[in-house]
Amino acid sequence: MSYVRSLLASIRVGWARDFGWTNPILGFSLKTIAPIASTMTALTILYIGFRNGVSITPEKFPYQLGFIIIGATLYAHISAYSWVPTLAIAEGKWTFVFPQVYVSTRSSPPYLAGRCLASFASSTVTSIASLAVAVVISLLLFGVTIPLVVTPLSVVLFGFALVVNIFASMGLGFLLGAYAVFASKFEWALPTYVSGILMVFSEALFPVTSLPHPFSDIGNVLPFTEFIRASRAVLLDGSVGSYFYYLGLSFVGGIILLSLGLLAFKYSERRARRLGVLDRKVV
Amino acid sequence: MNPRASIWLKTVYARTWVRTKSIYGEPLWVAVNVGFPFFTSLALSLLYSSAGLKSGIGFAFLGGVMVSFWGNVLWSMASQFNWDKQQGLFELYITSPAPISAILIGMSLGGILGTAPSAVTLAIIGWVLFAPPANPLWPLVAVTFALTLASLYAMGMALSSLYLVYGREADSVNEALHEPVSFLSGVYFPASLAFPAALQAIALVIPLAVGMDALQRTLFNLNASGVADLSLVYRDILLLAIMGTTLLFAASKALKILEEKGRRAGTIAVRLR
Repeated sequence: MSYVRSLLASIRVGWARDFGWTNPILGFSLKTIAPIASTMTALTILYIGFRNGVSITPEKFPYQLGFIIIGATLYAHISAYSWVPTLAIAEGKWTFVFPQVYVSTRSSPPYLAGRCLASFASSTVTSIASLAVAVVISLLLFGVTIPLVVTPLSVVLFGFALVVNIFASMGLGFLLGAYAVFASKFEWALPTYVSGILMVFSEALFPVTSLPHPFSDIGNVLPFTEFIRASRAVLLDGSVGSYFYYLGLSFVGGIILLSLGLLAFKYSERRARRLGVLDRKVV
Repeated sequence: MNPRASIWLKTVYARTWVRTKSIYGEPLWVAVNVGFPFFTSLALSLLYSSAGLKSGIGFAFLGGVMVSFWGNVLWSMASQFNWDKQQGLFELYITSPAPISAILIGMSLGGILGTAPSAVTLAIIGWVLFAPPANPLWPLVAVTFALTLASLYAMGMALSSLYLVYGREADSVNEALHEPVSFLSGVYFPASLAFPAALQAIALVIPLAVGMDALQRTLFNLNASGVADLSLVYRDILLLAIMGTTLLFAASKALKILEEKGRRAGTIAVRLR
């Protein structure tokens, strides 16, 4: 029970950190603008390719726009909260919060999980808002209606997929956190690289099958790829069978990643304690 | 030499040296800074390819190069004084005889020199991996590039004076500004091929948008005829020169006003608000 209390307290800390400086509407608006803009960048490139290239037929174009809108917004969602543990540790070292959390009874994993969940909640709202706004802007800018399947069932299944993806994103977060415990310089560099790699390998913007072998295989085994595929299956193709297939793969991959992440984090925390670097700020 | 001019120049040199040394003294910075622009450019290049427009790959990598500088302007210019305040460095600036404008100019020069290695690395990687078709008009590219950086960093100086009155919200504002400005500026694509005329006209108030338009026109062929429309390039160059001068002047004025106001109210060095 006390773990749940630690988790809830950490969620509150995460919310206060993200929105304490302003009112929630302004805070959410500022957090929504960036994913809308990055999604629109990818859509505009596709539009230019459609107008000037040779690969996309007019019949395929609305579907392709939908493919990218879903992929780009979900990519932004994943990258927004999977690096929260790194941020919590790095920022926490500077503000003395992390050493205090470490010496408290429940230690750091519930704290980091709570921060992740707080970020998941806000990122879910901003991702759905940016998806909706990107659909409207596409209509205004390109004159194309995106054939999204929006029914009560598809919305519920999409929400369930977002929840299932928490395991994978949190797992990635703990893995990055395991590194951040030791880092006192460039701690944000690894999450930036991982985020960039995910943009290429998670099928956010284009099918990973277009990558050369063995890079396409790397993309195929990532739980994030399967999560984005499951979301597309239900929001774009309306195929519930494919949705459960991809979501099952995402769930299995997520559990494996979370287990690895927790193990790595516990190991690095113990080692960092022995080396005395838990509160080290500068090398 | 006039003592005021002498101290101004010495301050510029000192701040440039510190910022440059911080990058070149730690070569890992290049690898760190090149990461995200590289993967973004790579992903967008593959998107261009899958959309059947391999000739667009050059736009993706040019965008990556310019985003390195834009990120530097936002995070290492605009919000730098805010971070300096957190670390207690800003108090030293305002109590020393060093002019703030000279510190900002030094930061800009150091920022340009420090970002250059990662930007060049990215350009080389893009060229080696994809060899995008280009038809550069080098003298115009050089002029445009220099003026774009000048007006971008002048904007960074203007923003830094604005951020001086803000507290923690500076980071959130930066995060909110980065992507939308990149999108409206057509950093990764030619805006003239995608945006309606009204949107292009609005984007012309952003130095990055004007610079990107000129750079894309001077590096790649945007016309079906294969010949760059030089009248538009000259328009962009003129706009960049005007913007750079205006923003520099505005930054200097805003800094004086806000510094004076902050000193009177006693809030100029307050760390957390």
